[in-house]
Amino acid sequence: MKPKRSMLLAARGILLAFVLMLSACGAPAPATELPPGELTGDLTVLDWAGYDAEDFWIDFKNTYPKVTVNFEIGSSDADIYGKMKAGDQADIFHIYTGWLQFYVDEGLVEEIDTSKLTNWDKVPENFKKIGQIDGKQYFVPWDWGFTSILYRTDKVPEGVDSWASLTDPKFADHISMWDDGPGAVTISSYIHGYDETAITDEQLASIKDEWIAQRDLNLFYWAGEPELVEGMRSGDVWVAYAWQGAYALLLGEGVPVAYANPKEGRNSWVGVYGIRKGTENYDLALKFLDAKLGEATGANVVNLFYYGHSNQDVMNGITDETLKQAFSIDDPDILNKTNFTPNLTAEQRDAWTAMWAEVKAAP
Amino acid sequence: MTSSTPTLPSPKSNSFGGGILKGWKGRGWDRRATFWLIYLPPLFCLFVFLVMPVLLMAAFSFRPDMRGDLFRTWIPTLDQYASLVATGSYWRLLGISTLTALGIAISAVLLAYPLAYFLAFYAGARAGFYLILLLVPFWTSYLLRIMAWKILLGTEGVINSFLIYAGLIQEPLTALLYNRTAVVLTLVYVWLPFAALPILAALQRIDPALFEAAADLGARPAYQFARITLPLSLPGVFAAFFMVFIPTIGEYVTPLLVGGSRGFLYGNIIQDFFTKAANWPLGSALSMIMLAATLILVVLATRLIDLRQLFE
Repeated sequence: MKPKRSMLLAARGILLAFVLMLSACGAPAPATELPPGELTGDLTVLDWAGYDAEDFWIDFKNTYPKVTVNFEIGSSDADIYGKMKAGDQADIFHIYTGWLQFYVDEGLVEEIDTSKLTNWDKVPENFKKIGQIDGKQYFVPWDWGFTSILYRTDKVPEGVDSWASLTDPKFADHISMWDDGPGAVTISSYIHGYDETAITDEQLASIKDEWIAQRDLNLFYWAGEPELVEGMRSGDVWVAYAWQGAYALLLGEGVPVAYANPKEGRNSWVGVYGIRKGTENYDLALKFLDAKLGEATGANVVNLFYYGHSNQDVMNGITDETLKQAFSIDDPDILNKTNFTPNLTAEQRDAWTAMWAEVKAAP
Repeated sequence: MTSSTPTLPSPKSNSFGGGILKGWKGRGWDRRATFWLIYLPPLFCLFVFLVMPVLLMAAFSFRPDMRGDLFRTWIPTLDQYASLVATGSYWRLLGISTLTALGIAISAVLLAYPLAYFLAFYAGARAGFYLILLLVPFWTSYLLRIMAWKILLGTEGVINSFLIYAGLIQEPLTALLYNRTAVVLTLVYVWLPFAALPILAALQRIDPALFEAAADLGARPAYQFARITLPLSLPGVFAAFFMVFIPTIGEYVTPLLVGGSRGFLYGNIIQDFFTKAANWPLGSALSMIMLAATLILVVLATRLIDLRQLFE
């Protein structure tokens, strides 16, 4: 941590010297608020691989060309949480539903001053709520998507209509589950009608047994979407836990796949951005998040990654048939058939991830 | 180096007397300065990047959970170890991982020995060229080499395509990839060149005169191998074995890529607790147990083999 910080300080020092030099050369004294094109500074964003591409912050890049944006990459929610907990100096971080509460509990996140977000009114109320903890807006919702069962229509012509298909022996050796304990608990809860927010020890024990039995049917647990896409494309995987990005991608390639509407309902997740508590770049971070809600950025999320964006104008503008199908835009009832991932408590996180490790280690 | 030690005591003031000894003592100072100059940077690096993290990990393994400031002091607890003791599947997996690593190390050494033998005694002028060929895979990324195995073993992979083409099978074999055998196969391949190098070095050190002498005394090649080559190359063999065995116990990348749902090793569980569970205390406790297990195995091995041989 230390060398990084000192490097950052050095960079700031150089920047300051540069600014002083400029003003010494007779540049006009800086007004209280510089025009966006002149604003300088640097921001560090802790994000997932892929989201560091300029496409996903293009509005900010265009509006504030002189601000340097640095990216650090996290490999999972747990990884990002671990980094922030260990004192990572990133100004902004990107996390997903389920993992929000701890940041507030551990004092790692600053409240969002939504009055400074010009795009805030384009975000639907139900998305805003997801970023609220204890009645305060701590996070800016940004990307979202479904989780459901993705299947090969040529291998499974009868289709699937339940989450239980992931544990169905008739698909033995052709199932791929996401490598995630809380994800497994969610699915079992849907199948058995458990209350996901109040899983008992007995329920967790039976969930563990269920997934240990499932492991013998499962070909591999996927950690990143490309792995899953490759498995579905090659025909090794017939039935999988999947986000709709994989669905849209395979659909676009002409692979015969369908995205189930399980009778227990689909799952839905939302990605949010938070600002680190104590950052010196709070105002700049807000500007970054406001630009993240911009339309060009949002359109790129939809068109390049096939995920939804929290700016409703972006979603209303989708015309591509594959994408419409992926988001089930023409199904007015789809969001009612969706379960949003609830926030985990620290105890649930530890118990559910340990359960998953025991599934993997089981004889 | 001498200029850096201006306070060198005069050898004349030495009470030991004796010209040779005095001279040696003088150089001794130099040697000490040189010693620190050479060894201080690596010792420093080892301390900062190995000893400190291990100590930190040991400390973390006695933490109750991830709550609160990570670098504030906490009341040590044995909770993590208690929960590990209660989870039999982790211990079983540690055993499997150790046996797997043992199998991989033995296989790699057995396969590497003929390779090194050929390079040392039969390759002649081309030995250098072959050695480069042996090392070429290291010029590409480790991940790339593992991915190559996925291409070889997959249902649409090279082996399956060939077998179907040859008419030996109708449906692709799914048993090639995504199991522990695939992990073993990949790791043996990955470590093979590493294992060959110390064996090669040991074989090259053997004095050719020994073979001539043995031949003069009527020893046949097989006897020469058993009485000269093999015993003299054993230090290299043991070095190769440990070079493969120790890192393989903690391996997690290969099982992740080719192991499927049933090919996990102990290292995967450790990795999961750090990157998928944000449960550093439990991950640290698992790591400490593996560290202890590895140390015990190495100590046991040193009881059987005189490790000093390896460095002579």
